[in-house]
Amino acid sequence: MNRIIKVARMQLINKATFIGIPLLILASAFLVTLAIWWLVRRNGGDGVLYGGGAQAPMWYFLALGIQALTMTFPFSLGMSISRRSFYLGTVGLFSACALVLSVFYYLMGLVETATGGWGVDGRFFALQWIADNNWFVQIMFYFVLMILLFMMGFFSATIYLRWKTMGVLVLVVGLALILLAAATVITLSGNWVPIGRWMASLTAGSVTLLGTVLALALGSGSYATLRKAMA
Amino acid sequence: MSQSTAIATRELTKTYKDVRALDNINLDLEAHRIYGLLGRNGAGKTTLMSILTGQNYPDHGTALIFGHEPFEHDPTLSRICFIRESQKYPEDFKVHQAFTAAAMFFENWDEQLAQNLVQDFGLPTKRRIKKLSRGQLSAVGVIIGMASRAEITFFDEPYLGLDAVARQVFYDRLVEDFAEYPRTIVLSSHLIDEVANLLEHVIVIDKGRIVIDADAEDLRGAAVTVTGEAAKVQEFIGAATVLHRDGLGALSSVTIKTQLDADRREQAKLMGLDLSPVSLQQFVVRSALSETATATGEKTEARS
Repeated sequence: MNRIIKVARMQLINKATFIGIPLLILASAFLVTLAIWWLVRRNGGDGVLYGGGAQAPMWYFLALGIQALTMTFPFSLGMSISRRSFYLGTVGLFSACALVLSVFYYLMGLVETATGGWGVDGRFFALQWIADNNWFVQIMFYFVLMILLFMMGFFSATIYLRWKTMGVLVLVVGLALILLAAATVITLSGNWVPIGRWMASLTAGSVTLLGTVLALALGSGSYATLRKAMA
Repeated sequence: MSQSTAIATRELTKTYKDVRALDNINLDLEAHRIYGLLGRNGAGKTTLMSILTGQNYPDHGTALIFGHEPFEHDPTLSRICFIRESQKYPEDFKVHQAFTAAAMFFENWDEQLAQNLVQDFGLPTKRRIKKLSRGQLSAVGVIIGMASRAEITFFDEPYLGLDAVARQVFYDRLVEDFAEYPRTIVLSSHLIDEVANLLEHVIVIDKGRIVIDADAEDLRGAAVTVTGEAAKVQEFIGAATVLHRDGLGALSSVTIKTQLDADRREQAKLMGLDLSPVSLQQFVVRSALSETATATGEKTEARS
Protein backbone atom coordinates (compact mmCIF):
# COMPACT_ATOMS: atom_id res chain seq x y z
CA MET A 1 0.00 0.00 0.00
CA ASN A 2 2.77 2.30 1.04
CA ARG A 3 4.59 1.95 -2.26
CA ILE A 4 1.38 2.55 -4.21
CA ILE A 5 0.97 5.93 -2.50
CA LYS A 6 4.64 6.67 -3.16
CA VAL A 7 4.03 6.05 -6.87
CA ALA A 8 1.24 8.64 -6.77
CA ARG A 9 3.60 11.06 -5.02
CA MET A 10 6.26 10.39 -7.64
CA GLN A 11 3.79 11.23 -10.42
CA LEU A 12 3.14 14.49 -8.57
CA ILE A 13 6.79 15.52 -8.29
CA ASN A 14 6.07 17.58 -11.35
CA LYS A 15 2.75 19.06 -10.33
CA ALA A 16 2.07 20.63 -13.72
CA THR A 17 1.47 17.28 -15.42
CA PHE A 18 -1.51 16.08 -13.40
CA ILE A 19 -2.86 19.31 -11.92
CA GLY A 20 -1.46 22.49 -13.46
CA ILE A 21 -1.91 21.78 -17.15
CA PRO A 22 -5.53 20.48 -16.99
CA LEU A 23 -6.54 23.54 -14.95
CA LEU A 24 -4.73 25.84 -17.35
CA ILE A 25 -6.47 24.25 -20.34
CA LEU A 26 -9.86 24.53 -18.65
CA ALA A 27 -9.31 28.14 -17.59
CA SER A 28 -8.17 29.21 -21.06
CA ALA A 29 -11.04 27.40 -22.79
CA PHE A 30 -13.51 29.03 -20.40
CA LEU A 31 -12.11 32.55 -20.75
CA VAL A 32 -11.96 32.31 -24.55
CA THR A 33 -15.57 31.08 -24.60
CA LEU A 34 -16.68 33.94 -22.33
CA ALA A 35 -14.96 36.45 -24.62
CA ILE A 36 -16.69 35.00 -27.68
CA TRP A 37 -20.08 35.07 -25.92
CA TRP A 38 -19.54 38.69 -24.99
CA LEU A 39 -18.77 39.53 -28.63
CA VAL A 40 -21.87 37.64 -29.81
CA ARG A 41 -24.10 39.49 -27.35
CA ARG A 42 -22.54 42.82 -28.29
CA ASN A 43 -23.50 42.19 -31.89
CA GLY A 44 -27.05 41.49 -30.87
CA GLY A 45 -27.07 37.67 -31.00
CA ASP A 46 -29.89 36.15 -28.95
CA GLY A 47 -30.93 32.77 -27.59
CA VAL A 48 -28.97 30.39 -25.37
CA LEU A 49 -25.25 30.18 -26.21
CA TYR A 50 -23.55 26.79 -26.00
CA GLY A 51 -19.81 26.26 -25.59
CA GLY A 52 -18.08 22.90 -25.86
CA GLY A 53 -14.90 24.05 -24.16
CA ALA A 54 -15.49 21.97 -21.03
CA GLN A 55 -14.30 18.94 -22.97
CA ALA A 56 -10.93 20.55 -23.69
CA PRO A 57 -9.11 19.09 -20.66
CA MET A 58 -10.58 15.67 -21.48
CA TRP A 59 -8.49 15.41 -24.64
CA TYR A 60 -5.43 16.27 -22.63
CA PHE A 61 -6.25 13.23 -20.46
CA LEU A 62 -5.91 11.02 -23.54
CA ALA A 63 -2.37 12.32 -23.93
CA LEU A 64 -1.80 12.15 -20.18
CA GLY A 65 -2.69 8.45 -20.23
CA ILE A 66 0.07 7.88 -22.77
CA GLN A 67 2.52 10.17 -20.98
CA ALA A 68 1.97 8.77 -17.50
CA LEU A 69 3.06 5.43 -18.84
CA THR A 70 5.78 6.14 -21.38
CA MET A 71 7.46 8.84 -19.31
CA THR A 72 7.36 7.26 -15.90
CA PHE A 73 7.12 3.48 -16.28
CA PRO A 74 10.75 2.79 -17.28
CA PHE A 75 11.88 5.07 -14.47
CA SER A 76 9.65 3.34 -11.96
CA LEU A 77 11.24 -0.01 -12.83
CA GLY A 78 14.58 1.62 -12.01
CA MET A 79 13.12 2.69 -8.67
CA SER A 80 12.43 -1.01 -7.95
CA ILE A 81 8.66 -0.55 -8.13
CA SER A 82 6.52 -3.52 -9.11
CA ARG A 83 4.31 -3.11 -12.16
CA ARG A 84 1.33 -3.67 -9.91
CA SER A 85 2.25 -0.79 -7.60
CA PHE A 86 2.98 1.42 -10.59
CA TYR A 87 -0.41 0.68 -12.12
CA LEU A 88 -2.41 1.12 -8.93
CA GLY A 89 -0.56 4.27 -7.91
CA THR A 90 -0.84 5.93 -11.31
CA VAL A 91 -4.43 4.99 -12.05
CA GLY A 92 -5.40 5.76 -8.46
CA LEU A 93 -3.86 9.22 -8.63
CA PHE A 94 -5.58 9.99 -11.91
CA SER A 95 -8.92 8.78 -10.54
CA ALA A 96 -8.55 11.11 -7.56
CA CYS A 97 -7.70 14.06 -9.83
CA ALA A 98 -10.60 13.20 -12.16
CA LEU A 99 -13.03 12.96 -9.25
CA VAL A 100 -12.01 16.38 -7.91
CA LEU A 101 -12.33 17.91 -11.37
CA SER A 102 -15.74 16.26 -11.92
CA VAL A 103 -17.05 17.73 -8.67
CA PHE A 104 -15.62 21.07 -9.78
CA TYR A 105 -17.51 20.80 -13.11
CA TYR A 106 -20.71 20.06 -11.22
CA LEU A 107 -20.23 23.02 -8.85
CA MET A 108 -19.37 25.35 -11.73
CA GLY A 109 -22.57 24.11 -13.43
CA LEU A 110 -24.53 25.22 -10.35
CA VAL A 111 -22.84 28.63 -10.43
CA GLU A 112 -23.55 28.87 -14.15
CA THR A 113 -27.25 28.23 -13.61
CA ALA A 114 -27.41 30.60 -10.64
CA THR A 115 -25.74 33.46 -12.54
CA GLY A 116 -27.99 33.11 -15.56
CA GLY A 117 -25.23 31.59 -17.66
CA TRP A 118 -22.50 34.00 -16.50
CA GLY A 119 -24.82 36.90 -17.24
CA VAL A 120 -24.90 36.15 -20.95
CA ASP A 121 -27.15 33.04 -20.94
CA GLY A 122 -24.22 30.83 -21.91
CA ARG A 123 -23.86 27.09 -21.24
CA PHE A 124 -20.34 25.89 -20.62
CA PHE A 125 -20.56 23.49 -17.68
CA ALA A 126 -24.30 22.91 -17.34
CA LEU A 127 -25.15 21.52 -20.78
CA GLN A 128 -28.87 20.71 -20.69
CA TRP A 129 -28.55 17.04 -21.55
CA ILE A 130 -26.24 16.52 -18.57
CA ALA A 131 -27.48 19.17 -16.16
CA ASP A 132 -31.03 17.80 -16.20
CA ASN A 133 -29.83 14.79 -14.19
CA ASN A 134 -29.26 14.58 -10.45
CA TRP A 135 -25.89 15.49 -8.92
CA PHE A 136 -24.65 11.93 -8.78
CA VAL A 137 -25.24 11.18 -12.47
CA GLN A 138 -23.68 14.53 -13.44
CA ILE A 139 -20.49 13.95 -11.46
CA MET A 140 -20.24 10.31 -12.57
CA PHE A 141 -20.75 11.30 -16.19
CA TYR A 142 -17.75 13.66 -16.16
CA PHE A 143 -15.71 11.26 -14.05
CA VAL A 144 -16.28 8.23 -16.29
CA LEU A 145 -15.60 10.26 -19.42
CA MET A 146 -12.25 11.44 -18.02
CA ILE A 147 -11.27 7.94 -16.87
CA LEU A 148 -12.28 6.50 -20.24
CA LEU A 149 -10.10 8.93 -22.20
CA PHE A 150 -7.17 8.42 -19.83
CA MET A 151 -7.55 4.65 -20.11
CA MET A 152 -7.67 4.79 -23.91
CA GLY A 153 -4.30 6.53 -23.87
CA PHE A 154 -2.92 4.29 -21.13
CA PHE A 155 -4.08 1.11 -22.87
CA SER A 156 -2.58 1.98 -26.24
CA ALA A 157 0.66 2.97 -24.49
CA THR A 158 0.87 -0.40 -22.70
CA ILE A 159 0.24 -2.16 -26.01
CA TYR A 160 3.07 -0.16 -27.55
CA LEU A 161 5.36 -0.84 -24.61
CA ARG A 162 4.84 -4.56 -24.83
CA TRP A 163 4.49 -5.22 -28.55
CA LYS A 164 5.81 -1.99 -30.08
CA THR A 165 4.54 -0.65 -33.40
CA MET A 166 3.27 -4.05 -34.55
CA GLY A 167 1.06 -4.30 -31.48
CA VAL A 168 -0.50 -0.88 -32.00
CA LEU A 169 -0.97 -1.67 -35.69
CA VAL A 170 -2.77 -4.92 -34.92
CA LEU A 171 -4.91 -3.10 -32.35
CA VAL A 172 -5.93 -0.31 -34.75
CA VAL A 173 -6.51 -2.58 -37.75
CA GLY A 174 -8.38 -5.06 -35.55
CA LEU A 175 -10.60 -2.30 -34.23
CA ALA A 176 -11.29 -1.05 -37.77
CA LEU A 177 -12.22 -4.58 -38.88
CA ILE A 178 -14.59 -5.04 -35.95
CA LEU A 179 -16.32 -1.73 -36.73
CA LEU A 180 -16.52 -2.68 -40.39
CA ALA A 181 -18.02 -6.06 -39.53
CA ALA A 182 -20.58 -4.39 -37.27
CA ALA A 183 -21.49 -1.89 -39.98
CA THR A 184 -21.87 -4.72 -42.48
CA VAL A 185 -24.17 -6.70 -40.21
CA ILE A 186 -26.29 -3.60 -39.47
CA THR A 187 -26.52 -2.66 -43.14
CA LEU A 188 -27.39 -6.17 -44.37
CA SER A 189 -30.06 -6.61 -41.70
CA GLY A 190 -31.39 -3.09 -42.38
CA ASN A 191 -31.06 -2.04 -38.77
CA TRP A 192 -29.64 1.50 -39.09
CA VAL A 193 -32.92 3.20 -38.16
CA PRO A 194 -33.42 1.30 -34.87
CA ILE A 195 -29.72 1.91 -34.05
CA GLY A 196 -30.14 5.62 -34.69
CA ARG A 197 -33.24 5.67 -32.52
CA TRP A 198 -31.37 3.82 -29.76
CA MET A 199 -28.52 6.35 -29.89
CA ALA A 200 -30.92 9.27 -29.71
CA SER A 201 -32.58 7.69 -26.69
CA LEU A 202 -29.33 7.50 -24.72
CA THR A 203 -29.31 9.51 -21.53
CA ALA A 204 -26.31 10.81 -19.61
CA GLY A 205 -26.96 7.96 -17.18
CA SER A 206 -26.85 5.20 -19.80
CA VAL A 207 -23.79 6.73 -21.48
CA THR A 208 -22.10 6.76 -18.08
CA LEU A 209 -22.89 3.07 -17.63
CA LEU A 210 -21.58 2.18 -21.09
CA GLY A 211 -18.46 4.25 -20.44
CA THR A 212 -17.90 2.48 -17.13
CA VAL A 213 -18.01 -0.93 -18.79
CA LEU A 214 -15.60 0.19 -21.50
CA ALA A 215 -13.24 1.89 -19.02
CA LEU A 216 -13.18 -1.23 -16.83
CA ALA A 217 -12.40 -3.38 -19.87
CA LEU A 218 -9.54 -1.08 -20.91
CA GLY A 219 -8.34 -0.85 -17.31
CA SER A 220 -8.10 -4.61 -16.85
CA GLY A 221 -6.62 -4.98 -20.33
CA SER A 222 -3.91 -2.45 -19.47
CA TYR A 223 -3.18 -4.20 -16.20
CA ALA A 224 -2.86 -7.61 -17.81
CA THR A 225 -0.61 -6.18 -20.53
CA LEU A 226 1.55 -4.19 -18.13
CA ARG A 227 2.20 -7.09 -15.77
CA LYS A 228 4.66 -8.60 -18.24
CA ALA A 229 5.88 -5.42 -19.93
CA MET A 230 9.53 -4.43 -20.08
CA ALA A 231 10.98 -0.96 -20.10
CA MET B 1 21.47 -22.21 0.16
CA SER B 2 23.10 -20.57 3.13
CA GLN B 3 21.81 -17.66 5.15
CA SER B 4 24.31 -15.32 3.55
CA THR B 5 23.27 -16.08 -0.03
CA ALA B 6 22.05 -12.88 -1.62
CA ILE B 7 21.43 -14.14 -5.14
CA ALA B 8 20.93 -17.69 -6.35
CA THR B 9 20.02 -18.75 -9.87
CA ARG B 10 19.26 -22.23 -11.17
CA GLU B 11 19.10 -23.14 -14.85
CA LEU B 12 18.20 -19.56 -15.71
CA THR B 13 17.38 -19.32 -19.41
CA LYS B 14 16.05 -16.49 -21.54
CA THR B 15 15.54 -16.49 -25.28
CA TYR B 16 14.74 -13.51 -27.47
CA LYS B 17 13.28 -14.68 -30.76
CA ASP B 18 16.28 -16.59 -32.14
CA VAL B 19 18.93 -15.42 -29.68
CA ARG B 20 19.61 -17.33 -26.49
CA ALA B 21 20.44 -14.38 -24.22
CA LEU B 22 20.93 -16.55 -21.14
CA ASP B 23 21.70 -20.22 -21.30
CA ASN B 24 21.39 -22.31 -18.15
CA ILE B 25 22.88 -19.86 -15.66
CA ASN B 26 23.68 -21.26 -12.22
CA LEU B 27 25.15 -18.76 -9.79
CA ASP B 28 25.39 -18.18 -6.05
CA LEU B 29 26.34 -14.72 -4.87
CA GLU B 30 27.07 -14.21 -1.21
CA ALA B 31 26.01 -11.13 0.66
CA HIS B 32 28.43 -8.31 1.45
CA ARG B 33 30.86 -8.84 -1.39
CA ILE B 34 31.75 -6.93 -4.52
CA TYR B 35 31.18 -8.91 -7.69
CA GLY B 36 32.29 -8.08 -11.17
CA LEU B 37 29.98 -9.13 -13.96
CA LEU B 38 32.18 -9.02 -16.99
CA GLY B 39 31.59 -9.77 -20.62
CA ARG B 40 31.38 -8.31 -24.06
CA ASN B 41 28.53 -6.18 -25.31
CA GLY B 42 25.58 -8.45 -25.97
CA ALA B 43 26.97 -11.24 -23.81
CA GLY B 44 23.86 -11.21 -21.61
CA LYS B 45 24.98 -9.01 -18.69
CA THR B 46 22.05 -6.61 -18.80
CA THR B 47 19.52 -9.41 -19.39
CA LEU B 48 20.86 -11.25 -16.36
CA MET B 49 20.72 -8.13 -14.18
CA SER B 50 17.20 -7.28 -15.39
CA ILE B 51 15.97 -10.72 -14.40
CA LEU B 52 17.72 -10.56 -11.02
CA THR B 53 15.98 -7.25 -10.35
CA GLY B 54 12.52 -8.29 -11.52
CA GLN B 55 12.59 -5.91 -14.47
CA ASN B 56 12.50 -8.94 -16.73
CA TYR B 57 11.58 -12.59 -16.24
CA PRO B 58 13.15 -15.87 -17.33
CA ASP B 59 11.68 -18.39 -19.78
CA HIS B 60 13.00 -21.20 -17.65
CA GLY B 61 14.74 -21.66 -14.32
CA THR B 62 14.67 -19.57 -11.17
CA ALA B 63 16.35 -16.49 -9.78
CA LEU B 64 16.07 -16.05 -6.03
CA ILE B 65 16.96 -12.84 -4.19
CA PHE B 66 17.25 -13.52 -0.47
CA GLY B 67 15.19 -16.62 -1.16
CA HIS B 68 12.41 -14.86 -3.10
CA GLU B 69 11.62 -14.45 -6.76
CA PRO B 70 11.93 -10.70 -7.33
CA PHE B 71 9.45 -10.43 -10.20
CA GLU B 72 6.51 -8.28 -8.99
CA HIS B 73 7.46 -8.90 -5.35
CA ASP B 74 7.59 -5.48 -3.69
CA PRO B 75 9.23 -6.55 -0.40
CA THR B 76 12.12 -8.11 -2.34
CA LEU B 77 12.30 -5.34 -4.94
CA SER B 78 12.65 -2.72 -2.21
CA ARG B 79 15.98 -4.30 -1.23
CA ILE B 80 17.44 -3.95 -4.73
CA CYS B 81 18.71 -1.04 -6.78
CA PHE B 82 19.47 -1.36 -10.48
CA ILE B 83 19.93 1.73 -12.62
CA ARG B 84 20.42 0.70 -16.22
CA GLU B 85 23.15 2.08 -18.39
CA SER B 86 20.31 3.22 -20.69
CA GLN B 87 18.03 4.21 -17.78
CA LYS B 88 15.14 6.41 -18.87
CA TYR B 89 13.90 9.25 -16.71
CA PRO B 90 10.58 11.09 -16.97
CA GLU B 91 10.81 13.62 -19.83
CA ASP B 92 10.37 16.71 -17.71
CA PHE B 93 12.41 15.62 -14.68
CA LYS B 94 15.27 17.69 -13.39
CA VAL B 95 18.21 15.97 -11.73
CA HIS B 96 17.11 16.84 -8.19
CA GLN B 97 13.61 15.51 -8.91
CA ALA B 98 15.05 12.12 -9.81
CA PHE B 99 16.84 12.13 -6.46
CA THR B 100 13.60 13.12 -4.68
CA ALA B 101 11.90 10.10 -6.24
CA ALA B 102 14.79 7.79 -5.36
CA ALA B 103 14.73 9.02 -1.76
CA MET B 104 11.07 7.93 -1.53
CA PHE B 105 11.61 4.41 -2.79
CA PHE B 106 14.97 3.44 -1.34
CA GLU B 107 14.54 3.22 2.40
CA ASN B 108 18.24 3.47 3.20
CA TRP B 109 18.69 6.56 1.03
CA ASP B 110 21.43 8.83 2.35
CA GLU B 111 20.79 12.39 1.22
CA GLN B 112 24.11 13.63 2.58
CA LEU B 113 25.99 11.06 0.53
CA ALA B 114 23.98 12.03 -2.54
CA GLN B 115 24.83 15.70 -2.01
CA ASN B 116 28.51 14.93 -1.54
CA LEU B 117 28.56 12.93 -4.75
CA VAL B 118 26.79 15.74 -6.60
CA GLN B 119 29.67 17.98 -5.51
CA ASP B 120 32.31 15.41 -6.45
CA PHE B 121 30.88 14.92 -9.92
CA GLY B 122 30.04 18.60 -10.39
CA LEU B 123 26.51 17.65 -11.42
CA PRO B 124 24.06 20.51 -12.20
CA THR B 125 21.01 19.36 -10.22
CA LYS B 126 18.65 22.00 -11.58
CA ARG B 127 19.19 20.95 -15.17
CA ARG B 128 16.68 18.78 -17.01
CA ILE B 129 17.92 15.22 -17.28
CA LYS B 130 17.39 15.08 -21.03
CA LYS B 131 19.81 17.99 -21.40
CA LEU B 132 22.65 16.20 -19.59
CA SER B 133 25.76 14.90 -21.30
CA ARG B 134 26.43 11.16 -21.37
CA GLY B 135 28.86 11.46 -18.49
CA GLN B 136 26.47 13.49 -16.37
CA LEU B 137 23.72 10.97 -17.10
CA SER B 138 26.00 8.18 -15.88
CA ALA B 139 26.71 10.24 -12.77
CA VAL B 140 22.99 10.45 -11.98
CA GLY B 141 22.78 6.66 -12.13
CA VAL B 142 25.91 6.22 -10.03
CA ILE B 143 24.61 8.63 -7.37
CA ILE B 144 21.23 6.87 -7.16
CA GLY B 145 22.99 3.52 -6.95
CA MET B 146 25.38 4.62 -4.21
CA ALA B 147 23.03 6.77 -2.11
CA SER B 148 20.26 4.14 -2.23
CA ARG B 149 22.48 1.90 -0.07
CA ALA B 150 20.25 -0.95 -1.24
CA GLU B 151 21.20 -4.36 0.11
CA ILE B 152 21.94 -5.46 -3.44
CA THR B 153 23.13 -2.75 -5.78
CA PHE B 154 23.81 -3.25 -9.47
CA PHE B 155 25.99 -0.84 -11.41
CA ASP B 156 25.53 -1.28 -15.15
CA GLU B 157 28.58 0.03 -17.03
CA PRO B 158 28.51 3.01 -14.64
CA TYR B 159 31.51 4.79 -16.12
CA LEU B 160 30.17 5.47 -19.63
CA GLY B 161 31.12 9.00 -20.63
CA LEU B 162 32.80 9.71 -17.29
CA ASP B 163 36.29 11.13 -17.50
CA ALA B 164 39.21 9.49 -15.71
CA VAL B 165 38.89 11.76 -12.67
CA ALA B 166 35.19 11.10 -12.27
CA ARG B 167 35.74 7.36 -12.67
CA GLN B 168 38.35 7.44 -9.92
CA VAL B 169 35.92 9.40 -7.72
CA PHE B 170 33.37 6.65 -8.27
CA TYR B 171 35.77 3.83 -7.41
CA ASP B 172 37.09 5.64 -4.33
CA ARG B 173 33.67 6.56 -2.96
CA LEU B 174 32.37 3.07 -3.64
CA VAL B 175 35.17 1.45 -1.65
CA GLU B 176 34.84 3.98 1.21
CA ASP B 177 31.10 3.56 1.45
CA PHE B 178 31.28 -0.20 1.10
CA ALA B 179 33.69 -0.37 4.04
CA GLU B 180 31.23 1.53 6.21
CA TYR B 181 28.03 -0.02 4.87
CA PRO B 182 28.79 -3.51 3.56
CA ARG B 183 26.32 -4.72 0.96
CA THR B 184 26.25 -6.86 -2.14
CA ILE B 185 27.49 -4.98 -5.15
CA VAL B 186 27.45 -6.23 -8.70
CA LEU B 187 29.50 -4.13 -11.06
CA SER B 188 29.00 -4.81 -14.73
CA SER B 189 31.90 -3.62 -16.76
CA HIS B 190 34.14 -4.14 -19.71
CA LEU B 191 36.92 -1.89 -18.39
CA ILE B 192 38.16 -4.86 -16.48
CA ASP B 193 41.62 -3.77 -15.36
CA GLU B 194 40.25 -0.50 -14.08
CA VAL B 195 37.89 -2.22 -11.67
CA ALA B 196 40.05 -5.30 -11.06
CA ASN B 197 41.28 -4.08 -7.69
CA LEU B 198 37.74 -3.51 -6.46
CA LEU B 199 36.46 -6.95 -7.24
CA GLU B 200 36.38 -9.82 -4.81
CA HIS B 201 34.74 -12.22 -7.19
CA VAL B 202 34.57 -12.34 -10.94
CA ILE B 203 31.79 -13.69 -13.12
CA VAL B 204 32.38 -13.69 -16.85
CA ILE B 205 29.51 -14.26 -19.20
CA ASP B 206 29.83 -14.93 -22.90
CA LYS B 207 27.05 -15.65 -25.38
CA GLY B 208 24.66 -16.19 -22.51
CA ARG B 209 26.86 -18.71 -20.69
CA ILE B 210 28.97 -18.36 -17.58
CA VAL B 211 32.59 -18.92 -18.60
CA ILE B 212 34.30 -17.85 -15.38
CA ASP B 213 32.92 -17.82 -11.85
CA ALA B 214 35.84 -17.51 -9.47
CA ASP B 215 37.37 -15.40 -6.74
CA ALA B 216 39.45 -12.56 -8.14
CA GLU B 217 42.38 -13.70 -6.01
CA ASP B 218 42.40 -17.11 -7.68
CA LEU B 219 42.31 -15.56 -11.12
CA ARG B 220 45.22 -13.18 -10.65
CA GLY B 221 47.84 -15.94 -10.79
CA ALA B 222 45.78 -18.30 -12.87
CA ALA B 223 47.58 -17.77 -16.13
CA VAL B 224 51.00 -16.88 -17.39
CA THR B 225 52.47 -15.86 -20.73
CA VAL B 226 55.55 -17.74 -21.87
CA THR B 227 57.70 -16.08 -24.51
CA GLY B 228 60.76 -17.40 -26.31
CA GLU B 229 61.91 -19.71 -29.05
CA ALA B 230 58.84 -21.46 -30.45
CA ALA B 231 60.13 -25.01 -30.00
CA LYS B 232 61.23 -24.40 -26.44
CA VAL B 233 57.99 -22.70 -25.55
CA GLN B 234 56.12 -25.69 -26.88
CA GLU B 235 58.31 -28.06 -24.89
CA PHE B 236 57.82 -26.03 -21.72
CA ILE B 237 54.06 -25.67 -21.85
CA GLY B 238 53.46 -29.35 -22.58
CA ALA B 239 49.80 -30.21 -22.21
CA ALA B 240 48.72 -27.04 -20.39
CA THR B 241 45.55 -25.33 -21.59
CA VAL B 242 46.48 -22.67 -24.12
CA LEU B 243 44.48 -19.47 -23.88
CA HIS B 244 46.25 -17.54 -26.56
CA ARG B 245 49.07 -17.98 -29.02
CA ASP B 246 51.09 -15.29 -30.81
CA GLY B 247 53.92 -15.99 -33.17
CA LEU B 248 56.56 -13.83 -34.81
CA GLY B 249 59.05 -15.77 -36.90
CA ALA B 250 60.84 -18.27 -34.70
CA LEU B 251 59.55 -16.59 -31.56
CA SER B 252 56.29 -17.39 -29.96
CA SER B 253 54.35 -16.09 -27.05
CA VAL B 254 51.81 -18.42 -25.50
CA THR B 255 49.41 -17.73 -22.66
CA ILE B 256 48.65 -20.84 -20.67
CA LYS B 257 46.24 -21.45 -17.88
CA THR B 258 48.30 -22.80 -15.07
CA GLN B 259 49.90 -21.76 -11.84
CA LEU B 260 53.67 -22.11 -11.90
CA ASP B 261 55.58 -23.08 -8.80
CA ALA B 262 59.16 -22.04 -8.09
CA ASP B 263 60.65 -25.12 -9.77
CA ARG B 264 58.81 -24.51 -12.99
CA ARG B 265 59.84 -20.86 -12.98
CA GLU B 266 63.44 -21.89 -12.52
CA GLN B 267 63.07 -24.33 -15.40
CA ALA B 268 61.74 -21.58 -17.65
CA LYS B 269 64.69 -19.39 -16.80
CA LEU B 270 67.13 -22.18 -17.66
CA MET B 271 65.40 -22.71 -21.00
CA GLY B 272 65.76 -19.00 -21.76
CA LEU B 273 62.04 -18.34 -21.67
CA ASP B 274 60.39 -15.18 -20.46
CA LEU B 275 57.46 -15.39 -18.07
CA SER B 276 55.08 -12.49 -17.76
CA PRO B 277 52.00 -12.15 -15.57
CA VAL B 278 48.59 -11.96 -17.17
CA SER B 279 46.30 -9.17 -16.05
CA LEU B 280 42.72 -9.92 -15.14
CA GLN B 281 41.59 -8.19 -18.30
CA GLN B 282 43.88 -10.24 -20.50
CA PHE B 283 42.87 -13.40 -18.74
CA VAL B 284 39.18 -12.65 -19.19
CA VAL B 285 39.57 -11.61 -22.80
CA ARG B 286 41.61 -14.70 -23.60
CA SER B 287 39.25 -17.01 -21.75
CA ALA B 288 36.11 -15.54 -23.19
CA LEU B 289 37.47 -15.58 -26.72
CA SER B 290 38.95 -19.02 -26.38
CA GLU B 291 36.38 -21.60 -27.41
CA THR B 292 38.23 -24.22 -25.39
CA ALA B 293 37.36 -22.54 -22.10
CA THR B 294 34.42 -24.76 -21.34
CA ALA B 295 31.87 -23.54 -18.86
CA THR B 296 31.88 -26.77 -16.88
CA GLY B 297 35.63 -26.87 -16.26
CA GLU B 298 35.67 -23.31 -14.95
CA LYS B 299 32.74 -23.84 -12.70
CA THR B 300 34.06 -26.92 -10.96
CA GLU B 301 37.19 -25.01 -10.16
CA ALA B 302 35.27 -22.08 -8.70
CA ARG B 303 32.91 -24.19 -6.64
CA SER B 304 35.60 -26.29 -5.00
